[in-house]
Amino acid sequence: MPSRATGIDPRSYEADLRLLQTRGDKLRLALGLVAILALPFALNNYWLGIVNAIGIAAIGAIGLNILVGFTGQISLGQGGFLAVGAFSSALLAGRGGLPIPLAVAAAVVVTAAAGVIVGLPALRLKGLYLVIATLASQEIIVFVVRRWRWLTGGQGYLEAPPLGVLGWHVQRAAFERTWYWVILVTAALGALAARNVFRTALGRSFMAVRDQEVAASTIGVNLTRAKLTAFALSSGYVGLAGALTAHYTEIVTWERFTLDVSVQYVGMIIVGGLGSIAGSIYGAAFLMLVPPLLSALADAVRDTAPFLADQLPALQVAAVGLIIILFLRFEPRGLDRLWRRIRDYFGSWPFRY
Amino acid sequence: MTRPIPLIGILLACSTLPACKQSGSTSGGASETKAASAEAKPGNDDIVLGILADLTGATADVGKPYNEGMLAYIDDLNTNAGIKGRKIRALSEDYAYKVPNAEEKYKKYLQAGAVAIQGWGTGDSEALRGKVKADELPFMSASYAEVLTDPKQSPYNFVVAPTYSDQMRIALDQIAAVAPDAQVAVFHHDSPFGMAPVADGEQWIKDRGYKLGYKDYAMKGGATDYVGLLQQATSQGAKFIVIQNVSSPAATVARDVAAQKLDMKIVCLNWCADELFLKLAGPAAEGHWMIQPFAPPAVAMPGHEPVRAYCKAKGCDLDAKGLHFVQGWYTMHVMARGMAKVLADGKPLTGPNLRGALEAMEPVDTGGVTGPVRFSADSHRGAMAAGVYKVDAGKIVAVAAAVMPKR
Repeated sequence: MPSRATGIDPRSYEADLRLLQTRGDKLRLALGLVAILALPFALNNYWLGIVNAIGIAAIGAIGLNILVGFTGQISLGQGGFLAVGAFSSALLAGRGGLPIPLAVAAAVVVTAAAGVIVGLPALRLKGLYLVIATLASQEIIVFVVRRWRWLTGGQGYLEAPPLGVLGWHVQRAAFERTWYWVILVTAALGALAARNVFRTALGRSFMAVRDQEVAASTIGVNLTRAKLTAFALSSGYVGLAGALTAHYTEIVTWERFTLDVSVQYVGMIIVGGLGSIAGSIYGAAFLMLVPPLLSALADAVRDTAPFLADQLPALQVAAVGLIIILFLRFEPRGLDRLWRRIRDYFGSWPFRY
Repeated sequence: MTRPIPLIGILLACSTLPACKQSGSTSGGASETKAASAEAKPGNDDIVLGILADLTGATADVGKPYNEGMLAYIDDLNTNAGIKGRKIRALSEDYAYKVPNAEEKYKKYLQAGAVAIQGWGTGDSEALRGKVKADELPFMSASYAEVLTDPKQSPYNFVVAPTYSDQMRIALDQIAAVAPDAQVAVFHHDSPFGMAPVADGEQWIKDRGYKLGYKDYAMKGGATDYVGLLQQATSQGAKFIVIQNVSSPAATVARDVAAQKLDMKIVCLNWCADELFLKLAGPAAEGHWMIQPFAPPAVAMPGHEPVRAYCKAKGCDLDAKGLHFVQGWYTMHVMARGMAKVLADGKPLTGPNLRGALEAMEPVDTGGVTGPVRFSADSHRGAMAAGVYKVDAGKIVAVAAAVMPKR
């Protein structure tokens, strides 16, 4: 649990459970809200598109963090679960004719179910062995969506219906902006829900499993239930991210769900901070911003340092790798911890603590 | 809490490394491309064009010369008064054959005010198909998948060459003519690009009543040999292997066939029917066939002259650049002719106007490099004929020009 400012003595349970405890919390939230509301008006469509991608990635990263950061079950199956969510939603909305919100909700349930199946080996496997088991699930799911011709009608890709509810359809001119609000609301609700899960007995049982399985079971945590629920909950979030990707890009191909993606998500939660909901969002934003920022940099110095532009895709990958290594070495608890240190430093300035 | 971290770190470090290695896979020839994009100074009157290039990805071996050819054409056009005095400002970026990258670049070009897009692979063309339709941006690419030729499904996609399916049909016609009841194995890239002609080929055998056997095999990317696949093809009794893949893996198949002394002929479609296949396979390339819509520089055509002259002026060797350079050059030529028609008609250069011009313009003559390229409002299938070539004494030799699928 996060440390809290001194001098706050709640007199009731409600006060103790409040998410915003200090005036600083409220101020930061207000500033953040203003920034979030102003963003779509300040950015052009290209950058807004990147923000939207960050929003979707943040939902997926929260899901992965529930499993890896909070429950300690390391997974490399993220890409596979994204694929399950994306294909389910596109099929249900496209061929099944379900309204899109229902299709997305159903995709969440389907992916959660898939997560439970993949999670079964976790009851017996730990550490590196579990990584390999989830890696296998990643490969199997991608293999299935590549080979199963019925899924894509032999085309190799599947078209997902564009966002629309009850006759209303997203307008092309306002495409990114409309999606921004949709993703913002979904991600905010998702983050809030995840935050609250870890204030309940269920969420705490996840953390107990992570910290010491044997101890957790002696104090009465049902390991089977905790692990499988963690897999289901995590996959549900990832399925939501996959379904949103499907309708946002309007096309689903397996190429978007390869092992690279799983690795990228693990990178996000490491950089953001394992076991932190806010960290998942920071990490998603950070890693999704590195490639376009590098690309902008390469454009700016194209004349003086053309080699940057020549090797851009390789450099983007290498930069992400380097960032992960640097975080592991210097701040293994990620951006979230870094942010807390900065905040505390200024909060108690000029004293050390 | 800290326990999982070293483990994940090791995994991440391992998985990022192979991606870095890819960058070394291509060699030489980068200097002209930069010159082309750097010379195009931004101006208000410039025509903005977005180009998706694969310079470091899975298909970089052929993607790089294609992109260079395209930029060379634009450079040549811009130094010679442009289109009605307007220059083309080409935004060309490497997307490394990854669909999400292509989408990101596409949004960037859209924001920069591009009036048309030159794409590359089947994956990105299909992923962007719906978007170019919604944004009304004409889109050409080096993907010749059948679905892109139908204006009802893909109103803004234009295909300048015979489709992969048509190339497959031509290949099967050729095989049926020499060996009516042979077994045909189709080795294809494991992607939408590779799969594109597979089902249509099987249908073609049924429709034409051929007695050919037909079986398809996916080629795993990055394999160092295809002995396993050849084993399966041998047990099928295959005499012909049609390859729908890029040159490097196709050359590997050719070397494996030679090493095992198998009695099999390779029929390369479009993306492996080139000089690189010759170079990589060496003597093992001897006797194999190629179905190629774009005449290689070695088979001199009048249409090669302007390309050769440009290359000479810039100090590069067209024969070394190969036919994909020519392919990029003429794909860009068709797009530029469409733009010229819009401006000649006195209309503003917008996506819908460009689409109309491409559909209405006279067939584009490419000086024999391809057949005339012609679009209409009902069909965006620019051409149907391809050349049939054979590797003879280490050279690509024309067997028949402008062959169409038998109707």
